[in-house]
Amino acid sequence: MSALGGRVAVVLLALWFALPLVPLGLWSVADRWPAGAALPTQWGWSGWQQAVAEGGLPALGRSAALGLAVAALATPLGALAGRALAWGRSRWHGVSAALLLLPVALPPFALAMGLDVLLLRLGIPGLVAVVGLLVAYAVPYTTYVLRSAYAVTDPQLEDQARMLGATGTQALRTVTLPVLAPALLAAAALAFLVGWSDYVVTVVIGGGRLVTAPVLVAAGASGLGNEPVVAVLSTLMVVPLVAAVLTAPLVARSLEASRTRR
Amino acid sequence: MPRAPARGGARLLLPAVVVTGAVAGTATVSVLMTAFGLLPLVGAPTPGAAAFVALGGDLLLGLRESLVIATLSTLLAAAVGMATALLLVRSAGVRRRLGALTATVLSVPHLVGAATVGLLLSGGGLLPRWLGVAPTAWPELVGGGWPVAVVLELAWKESAFVALVVTASLSRRLTDLQEVAAVLGADARQRLLRVTVPLAAPALLASAGIAFLYAFGSYEVAWLLGRAYPEPLPVLAQRLFSSIDLAARPQAAAAALVGITVALAVAALAVPLLRRWGVGR
Repeated sequence: MSALGGRVAVVLLALWFALPLVPLGLWSVADRWPAGAALPTQWGWSGWQQAVAEGGLPALGRSAALGLAVAALATPLGALAGRALAWGRSRWHGVSAALLLLPVALPPFALAMGLDVLLLRLGIPGLVAVVGLLVAYAVPYTTYVLRSAYAVTDPQLEDQARMLGATGTQALRTVTLPVLAPALLAAAALAFLVGWSDYVVTVVIGGGRLVTAPVLVAAGASGLGNEPVVAVLSTLMVVPLVAAVLTAPLVARSLEASRTRR
Repeated sequence: MPRAPARGGARLLLPAVVVTGAVAGTATVSVLMTAFGLLPLVGAPTPGAAAFVALGGDLLLGLRESLVIATLSTLLAAAVGMATALLLVRSAGVRRRLGALTATVLSVPHLVGAATVGLLLSGGGLLPRWLGVAPTAWPELVGGGWPVAVVLELAWKESAFVALVVTASLSRRLTDLQEVAAVLGADARQRLLRVTVPLAAPALLASAGIAFLYAFGSYEVAWLLGRAYPEPLPVLAQRLFSSIDLAARPQAAAAALVGITVALAVAALAVPLLRRWGVGR
């Protein structure tokens, strides 16, 4: 590929990835944007006021809580399973690894319907079923990330710490966990995203009584004339994640730098 | 010496296996029983395949629509994702600029993606405004005769996923092997076809497989951007499931069961294929 061709390809791909995000930025600060106009004719914050009036902030809080709950449960499960799959050997390995990946193949709407049908009969609160199902969907990711991390970590590190007098728990806490910290963080972030982004599970189980940010976005986007408030809520769903994604390499680099300086 | 934490015994697998198995197993059995009339909301069970018969052609059309959406969006995502990965591994400058963009797209929830693609591609959307096309003259990409916007949204998000997975698998070994090939006299085209593509193939196929399964089971994108008829399986099932007509519930479960069965069949077909290609090694 010539240098010019390469540059054109980069520009086209940048357009492909960036263009769909542009309407969010423009509509979130548009007070008036009549049909046919290339840009808003009146800029302003009415979308933000409307988003707050419609309960956008508590909805974002509920989404964050859902994401944190899923991360808090799916990360330790993935760490245990990842450790077993990477470091151990047992005849259950193949079956377990396949079972833990299975949710990737199962459509969320279908499993959510199955659980919703059972809620009344079994007396399980809807919120428990929502979190449980989302954890099952997050476990393949946390297991995969932590299995890979354990696979490149030497199991003998813990043995050496214990030979130097550390208890098993101390060895785990002071040797293995610090080595695994970046992978644990990455796994937790992926699990958080599963809860934070979910729409269909929350809507199907319990009929959408849990009003999360995606539930508000969907309600607005399926109607007409809600563009500003949809754009504001969507922006609020994306910006914290983008900030995290963009600062993660910087944080990793500064951690790395402080470690090498010591 | 105090007992060491288990290095990797089967009992460490137990919590994750129990949670996943209990949730997925219970839900699947419940869908199965509801679809065959064994778990009615009220009244006595009426075993049989009545729900499938009642849905009839809609079930087949829904399945076809789901397969079309998943196939087209996966092909597009794989092509764009692979092209992106090839550019990302080529230079650090591109990696800085395009890498941040793909990571951003990856973190956008699909529902938000569907909302913003609607604001881009509908008659009153950004694209016709910027191109100076009247809303009435603009093709019906959203909710029209073909699921164009649905396929584009899924391809957009999943191409970022494919790019990330392929880049991760390539960046480890590519430079060394490229240099060796160059020293041995391979030209740019040969290096691409004989070194880069075989090296990327396992990650490309695995990520495309996951993208296909995601698109096949995805609800919100087709619900927001798709046409009214025929509906893909998830949209058909959820409309029936939330219907006030309680008799529609077994039909919703029937559509869900077809979705589960086909997705599992695709996964069962894909896994040995991926093994042969060296995925997971």
